[in-house]
Amino acid sequence: MNDFLIKTEKLCKTFRNGRLETPVLFDIDLEIIKGEFVAIMGPSGCGKSTLMHILGLMLSPSSGRVYLEGQDTALLHEKKRACLRRDKIGFVFQRFNLLPTLNAYQNIAVAEQIRRNQPDGQINRALAAVEMTDRAQYKPHQLSIGQQQRIAIARAISHQPALIMADEPTGNLDSAHAQHIMDLFRTIHRQHGITILMITHSQTAARSADRIIYMNDGKIQG
Amino acid sequence: MFNLALSNLTHRKIRTGMSVLAVAIAIALLLVLVGLSNGTLNEVSRRMESVEAEIVVRDRHFDIGSLSGGKLWEKEIPSLREIRMDSRPAVRKVIPVFIGRMKLAGLSQNVFGINPEDFPYFAGTRKILSGQLFADFDSPLQALNLDDKPFSSDDDTKSSEKNIHHSLPLVIDRRLSQASVLKVGDTAFYGGSPAHIVGIVETGVAGRVFAPINRLRGANGIAKRTAHMFFIKADPALQTDQLRHLCDKIEKSTRNSRSATLVANYGQVLADNFRNLTIFVSLVSVIALIICFLFILVTMYTMVLERGREIAILQSLGAGRSVILRQTLMEAALICSIGTVLGIALTFGARWLIETVQPLMTIEIRIHWLLLAILIGLGGGCLSALYPGYLALCHDPVETLSFE
Repeated sequence: MNDFLIKTEKLCKTFRNGRLETPVLFDIDLEIIKGEFVAIMGPSGCGKSTLMHILGLMLSPSSGRVYLEGQDTALLHEKKRACLRRDKIGFVFQRFNLLPTLNAYQNIAVAEQIRRNQPDGQINRALAAVEMTDRAQYKPHQLSIGQQQRIAIARAISHQPALIMADEPTGNLDSAHAQHIMDLFRTIHRQHGITILMITHSQTAARSADRIIYMNDGKIQG
Repeated sequence: MFNLALSNLTHRKIRTGMSVLAVAIAIALLLVLVGLSNGTLNEVSRRMESVEAEIVVRDRHFDIGSLSGGKLWEKEIPSLREIRMDSRPAVRKVIPVFIGRMKLAGLSQNVFGINPEDFPYFAGTRKILSGQLFADFDSPLQALNLDDKPFSSDDDTKSSEKNIHHSLPLVIDRRLSQASVLKVGDTAFYGGSPAHIVGIVETGVAGRVFAPINRLRGANGIAKRTAHMFFIKADPALQTDQLRHLCDKIEKSTRNSRSATLVANYGQVLADNFRNLTIFVSLVSVIALIICFLFILVTMYTMVLERGREIAILQSLGAGRSVILRQTLMEAALICSIGTVLGIALTFGARWLIETVQPLMTIEIRIHWLLLAILIGLGGGCLSALYPGYLALCHDPVETLSFE
């Protein structure tokens, strides 16, 4: 158990809206080792994002177990889940999700303030890691989409998380920018040993990962 | 997180500006209304308390606001002077005051009709700055008989002298003189009858306008020696408790038809007389504050609704419920802080403007009212942001980030 960063057992998720029930995940058993770079692929609606949100502690499973660093997170109180999310996980989204009213530096600083860190050194290191030091004072709308994604990555790695969860991080980028971002992920993975779990539709992007998991109809294939 | 709150507010400058203005106007309205009503009452009571007398006697049904209700009679004075305490005469002097009303400097002014020899009790150390004190007739009848003779509008010197003799002489205080631009020799009107300024006295005396009591009675068509108030100069040896006891004795001697109050407590008497005004002012202030805080609630509600994505991002970064709630409250507190400071500045501006346009109005701004306004501004604003803050907590980050 200790070698696994993430482990799920019989993980199920069903969304309920009044009497309407929509089962999305069925008996997912998944193990991700510390320092592993894993890509999850599958058609739209197969449950990839739901699985990522459950593993990222933003959703609760309907049944089954989810362990993060050996700790069962399924039954944790929301406050404790928020703390784990804050300290252990960094998110990178397809649409970057930077705060539009803040500049690049402040976007990372907000994340650090939520973690109650004194952020200066970490922010500068994170900006340097994504080669965006010279764009620190730029607001998101003043940056290209590739640069915005780099800032989003800097925000995700600034606190040296145990796990980075990337939801189609190259989905909004052209091939050149996508290649840069994947190079960046590989560098971060290699240099910092951070576990990366990435959802992608792109075979090219998935080839950067150590392992590819295929999903279909809410189940892991093979 | 402060940067985020600040940048969110500066991002929507007009909306933030409107919210700040709403708080500022409500706070200024509260302070100006309270300051004006209290300032006016306190200024009047301070002037009344400057009279060199200890007790004021009125008919129990007399209303100073409307000058209606019962009157006093000068023939009561001897019985008042007979009141004794510890077998010593307790009353040294009874000063009758007949109150009339006229419009000067755009405002209704009480005219204190007094015997000229009583003027020093009202003026104390204050001097007549220009002109002189008036003389009076021996009885109101003399003034009434004079009123029967028509006022001449001829411009010759003889007519002019007759008119001066005919018209009501007035002594006004300097503040009124400055506000009304009236000086000695100028003409005014008491009701429809002519009056003229004979003297200007230093500011701070009990009445802004003084007139001879018999002539004022005559100008009001009253032939008898009535009065609205008696100021009583008591034996100087009497202490406050004994003065209170003297008040009781006066009331008993008049079978409780008269009310006797310590001059030092006149402010309370005024406040009781104008209780309805105080209630009205409080009501208007509370309504203004409620509207202001509803405005804040709607502003924060709109902010929360349109910033679902931002809240979801913060949640994905690990922000717990307390962080999200604190963020909403911080923005409301910022709006209210700036609004309160602006409101206080507006209050001082409004005071300057009102006192410039209407120099006879007094707006008192006391430090504890300012502190109360700050407390109300910040507390009310934060309370108004609680519901929007609760809505922010109910955001589902997954849904928001998936569908934005």
